Amino acid sequence: MVSRRKKRKAGGHEESIPSPPGYSAVPVKFSAKQQAPHYLYMRQHRVRQGTQSTWPPDRTLFILNVPPYCTQESLSRCLSCCGTIKTVELQEKPDLAESPTEPKSQFFHPKPVPGFQVAYVVFQKPSGVSAALNLKGPLLVSTESHLVKSGIHKWISDYEDSVLDPEALRMEVDAFMEAYDKKIAEEEAKAKEEEGVPDEEGWVKVTRRGRRPVLPRTEAASLRVLEKEKRKRARKELLNFYAWQHRETKMEHLAQLRKKFEEDKQRIELMRAQRKFRPY
Amino acid sequence: MPSAGERPAVKMGPAPAGEQHRRATEDPEVMELAFEGMDKEKAPSRKRARTEPPAEGLLQPVNLSREELYKEPTNEELNRLRETEILFHSTLLRLQVEELLKEVRLSEKKKERIDNFLKEVTKRIQKVPPVPEAELTDQSWLPAGVRVPLHQVPYAVKGSFRFRPPSQITVVGSYLLDTCMRPDINVDVAVTMPREILQDKDGLNQRYFRKRALYLAHLAYHLAQDPLFSSVRFSYMSGCHLKPSLLLRPHGKDERLVTVRLLPCPPLDFFRPCRLLPTKNNVRSAWYRGQSCPDYEPPTPHYNTWILQDVALETHMHLLASVLGSAQGLKDGVALLKVWLRQRELDKGLGGFNGFIISMLVAFLVSKRKIHTTMSGYQVLRSVLQFLATTDLTINGISFSLSSDPSLPTLAEFHQLFAVVFVDPSGRLNLCADVTASTYNQVQYEAELSMALLDSKADDGFQLLLMTPKPMIQAFDHVVHLHPLSRLQASCHQLKLWPELQDNGGDYVSAALGPLTNILVQGLGCRLHLLAHSRPPVPEWSINQDPPKHKDAGTLTLGFLFRPEGLTSVIDLGPEADKPEAADFRQFWGTRSELRRFQDGAIREAVVWEAESLFEKRLIPHQVVTHLLALHADIPDTCIQYVGGFLDALIQNPKEISSTGEEALALAVRCYDDLSRLLWGLEGLPLTVSAVQGAHPVLRYTEVFPPAPVRPAYSFYNRLQELASLLPRPDKPCPAYVEPMTVVCHLEGSGQWPQDAEAVQRVRAAFQLRLAEVLTQEHRLQCCATATHTDVLKDGFVFRIRVAYQREPQILKEVRSPEGMVSLRDTPASLRLERDTKLLPLLTSALHGLQQQYPAYSGVARLAKRWVRAQLLGEGFTDESLDLLAASLFLHPEPFTPPSVPQVGFLRFLYLVSTFDWKNNPLIVNLNGELTAEEQVGIRSSFLAARTQLPVMVIITPQDRRSSVWTQDGPSAQILQQLVSLAAEALPILEKQLMDPRGPGDIRTVFRPPFDMYDVLIHLTPRHIPRHRQAVDPPVASFCRGLLAEPGPSSLMPVLGYDPPQLYLAQLREAFEDLALFFYDQHGGEVIGVLWKPSSFQPQPFKASSIKGRMVVSQGGELVMLPNIEAILEDFAVLGEGLVQAVEARSERWTV
Repeated sequence: MVSRRKKRKAGGHEESIPSPPGYSAVPVKFSAKQQAPHYLYMRQHRVRQGTQSTWPPDRTLFILNVPPYCTQESLSRCLSCCGTIKTVELQEKPDLAESPTEPKSQFFHPKPVPGFQVAYVVFQKPSGVSAALNLKGPLLVSTESHLVKSGIHKWISDYEDSVLDPEALRMEVDAFMEAYDKKIAEEEAKAKEEEGVPDEEGWVKVTRRGRRPVLPRTEAASLRVLEKEKRKRARKELLNFYAWQHRETKMEHLAQLRKKFEEDKQRIELMRAQRKFRPY
Repeated sequence: MPSAGERPAVKMGPAPAGEQHRRATEDPEVMELAFEGMDKEKAPSRKRARTEPPAEGLLQPVNLSREELYKEPTNEELNRLRETEILFHSTLLRLQVEELLKEVRLSEKKKERIDNFLKEVTKRIQKVPPVPEAELTDQSWLPAGVRVPLHQVPYAVKGSFRFRPPSQITVVGSYLLDTCMRPDINVDVAVTMPREILQDKDGLNQRYFRKRALYLAHLAYHLAQDPLFSSVRFSYMSGCHLKPSLLLRPHGKDERLVTVRLLPCPPLDFFRPCRLLPTKNNVRSAWYRGQSCPDYEPPTPHYNTWILQDVALETHMHLLASVLGSAQGLKDGVALLKVWLRQRELDKGLGGFNGFIISMLVAFLVSKRKIHTTMSGYQVLRSVLQFLATTDLTINGISFSLSSDPSLPTLAEFHQLFAVVFVDPSGRLNLCADVTASTYNQVQYEAELSMALLDSKADDGFQLLLMTPKPMIQAFDHVVHLHPLSRLQASCHQLKLWPELQDNGGDYVSAALGPLTNILVQGLGCRLHLLAHSRPPVPEWSINQDPPKHKDAGTLTLGFLFRPEGLTSVIDLGPEADKPEAADFRQFWGTRSELRRFQDGAIREAVVWEAESLFEKRLIPHQVVTHLLALHADIPDTCIQYVGGFLDALIQNPKEISSTGEEALALAVRCYDDLSRLLWGLEGLPLTVSAVQGAHPVLRYTEVFPPAPVRPAYSFYNRLQELASLLPRPDKPCPAYVEPMTVVCHLEGSGQWPQDAEAVQRVRAAFQLRLAEVLTQEHRLQCCATATHTDVLKDGFVFRIRVAYQREPQILKEVRSPEGMVSLRDTPASLRLERDTKLLPLLTSALHGLQQQYPAYSGVARLAKRWVRAQLLGEGFTDESLDLLAASLFLHPEPFTPPSVPQVGFLRFLYLVSTFDWKNNPLIVNLNGELTAEEQVGIRSSFLAARTQLPVMVIITPQDRRSSVWTQDGPSAQILQQLVSLAAEALPILEKQLMDPRGPGDIRTVFRPPFDMYDVLIHLTPRHIPRHRQAVDPPVASFCRGLLAEPGPSSLMPVLGYDPPQLYLAQLREAFEDLALFFYDQHGGEVIGVLWKPSSFQPQPFKASSIKGRMVVSQGGELVMLPNIEAILEDFAVLGEGLVQAVEARSERWTV
């Protein structure tokens, strides 16, 4: 009810759509048929001093709350009236990385189900960003001239996309393994070059290379060695040889009985509280 | 006359009551001293324990200080520990038993009030005025406000009656013995009729019982006028129709405190014992049937016993008092045994194994030195159960009497006349006269189970043995209701049970019960493990009403417990044709018996039942019972309500109602076995296959609706010709749901695998591609390879083969520190991979083995899973967790035995879910028995220590002893609580339906989910619900799903895993999971329930990472975020275009 009243007011005075500080609010709907819009919250993408970004700062528009049915193409089309768009990138979360991410393989990283996303739109000129921030909307994701698939049509289309070409997969795998093998070979060559070369102080590092496996420097291996030592030491101890050892064993047993008794009492208390002793 | 009037009435002796009172006061005093002693010793810990009760019903790890643990023990403590070890077998059990006894015992205060009431009752009985003598058939002297509480048939009888005040009033039964137990506090009072009321020959022709009833009627009329009583009603003594009793309840606040039962009885020495021997006839045929000059008068053992019971009331009381009187342990034992019997519904009604019999059994064992008076209650319980488990009183009866008096009947003579023999000290009275062989067999069976439970020393033994009810519908595989009971008159006629009717006073239900059960036991033969029957509840009625008739007793309900191996046979083999037994066989089976020649050349009589599927075989007993009852007992099938397979409809394919799917699952498993052999034998792979393991519910027989071989009708689809795949068409209904079955394929080890996770993935992908090529080349199978799996179409089934490299999870875990030390850390990816390629195949294999061992496992697991999903909660539970819940019913069936049919298994599933204490206990499912008792104790301790880090539901298996992998991702506490609530509601509803003799009604009621709790309902169009036919209420018409009816080879891969509602839900959850929960039944549900999360409606300050689906509004001059509900509701329709029919927003349920 509150939102309905708010919407009416918003309809009457478009200037007063609330938005977070620094952001501009633009309503967006899937199509003309819908009554209630979502709101895109936009601002110019800026970075803190000292950090680098993959996005050109003065030509990038940052958008929050992009609805799930909004695709790259439809977003690009909605904003094309603001100026020529070079790229549109949809992401699940705002970009915190400093380096550009490698293009992901469609075979090994399938496209996830989209939820509400954030978008980075790079215009050709800074004026595109300014124009976008002044949009009134509502933007329509799907129009008669540019239908966006949803529901059954989208799922069928996604299914078709999911039937992948094994030949393309083979080529990608081969390319990856070729690069991987090359990298491994380079590492081995580098290690071989450093073999026998003294460092600044004149020491020569001795490394073992061969087929026979050595004890790995792993946490589990270290723990296992320690456990073995402890067990070896314990085996050498005589048990129940001294009177104090015998008394200690009995005391240990009694302590266990006491602990069990206290546990049992607590359990009884719980069962009593739950009326578990009433057989009717 | 004046001398008779002057005879002093013997009142209730002050000495016994006083003595009892004094003895009772001693015990609290002793206990109080012990309590004080303990309190003094353990003051600090006790104080802390008292101030820190378990927080919110959650057990905490015990926190005793080192000083408290290791201080020197006191003598008191040592003695108590030693005593516990001897008398009980664990401290927990001792504490539990003590608490139980406190709960069921009468308090001293209440005893005082009862004693006062009894004194008043005695006084008022003595004041009832006398009535002059009249003929027994002349009952005009009775006031109009009371009726005789006995069916007087035939009415004509000799003798006369007059009322005189009782010569003695004595409290008998468990009250004075201190074995009377809540919640039913009944005090039996023996009212001795004076000698002058009785005449010679009153033992004949029900004359004694007529006088007894008239005596009681007169008492009833006058006591009903007395304001002392809130209620004066008639009932039957132990359910015997010839022996009414009078129930008196106090007026005022003590109304529910106690029920006093008045039991008229004759003077001790009135009847001559030789006339009441079980071999004597005391109901003349001439009188009862109008038959003149019969050649033979059959004995009336039950009739005679009922008189003897009245004669012996005080004698037995004295015997029990002398044995139990001063031994608290014996009394405790009797109390525990009464609880044990009650939980198993064994103690009530005519022929019940009641508290009196069990008390006499304890006394008997004391006399035989098998029980000693110093034993604890637990030891007594154990000794009696041991005796019952190992002794068959139907064959080797027992007797208190050591006498070799030739005038007394021998045990062999008792066995000829009674099914169960337990003779009292007099040597004449069989205490188990009314107990049927079936009831005794049930007692024996329960004792065997209980002994096994006690010997296992299970931690929850107390709970299972004494606190878990075992209603018939949960304990027995099949249940049969015979209704109406008047039909049994025809049965008596057909079976020629005239002597039995004569003996039972015309009670045709009791007369027919033994023969009926014998016929069914014989007919079910080796299929049957145990047959049990209900005993009608003992009625009570107003004194101005006629007593209920035999047919008013309601329903006779029989329970069948089957041997699992017996349920697979479709032939009852008889003797060879030329043997004399063949005629008996033919007579028993009637026209169903046929001569057949068998492969070994023998010609035998045989009965062949029509059954092919496991479902039909499980219901062969239905055919047997219906046939035999019609043939021998004149009971048509309209009077038989057979409850054995009603729930099976929920897991039946609507097109295949003659099976519950086990055969279809086996077909898929055989296809998988064939595929395994192909994989093992492949030659074109760089590495050979080292193992093939199933990882899908079908391959462990727990897929609710088994897959059928598919053959697509190509015209229904679009196609990707170059990739040999079919695609759904938007203009047609969605295709049938075809789910690939996951198979894990391990390869031999090799040093050539890379050490980098991404590289390993690529190599695996290469193997998937190669696998597809080789299967196509060598075996002409249609394959489709992806990076993570290869889909293979074989004989209409689709398998999804995942190649697994065993070191990959470890590679994913490796973290290298700057110093070069390699440590292993679990990551979500490594855990998921380990679960999917290692744990899941292991579980599937173990459950597959369980299915081979217990054929009913499949039905139970699938029925349970179907119910959970029908409640829209399926998303919250993994397949595996539900499968393990069902498995625990078979691996830990105590106090039952493993289910043999889905119905009883499902009831126990509901009971398990609704009663298990998930907060304080892990559910241990000991697959293959690999966990020892000590290991299980350790697991429980670890559970308590780590409780706060564990999921709300913890399921432990031998392969998963700590973390409960199958419940890590759900259910949430909210979903689990909802499941528990729904199960607790469904169980009594379903039990009531199944126990209704007129039929269960709509069995799907408990499967339909409640929709009123949801904020929004999204209605879907069935056109795009691929599993619509699996709905709880199957649709009358359905859509074409693109499959040809006849399976055959297909050169194109069908549409795999395409389920529009599931795709829609994935989108909804991804977009709105911060705001709402979505509930849906994947098996053809037509409605998605949406529940807003209340926290999401709280205004929140703006944060860039959590604005999804919200909008910024101004509230009180402040900018906050609220969900954009109206847009979201429209999103529901947009995202589900074509699938969503309507979005029903119940906006009155929420406010923004």
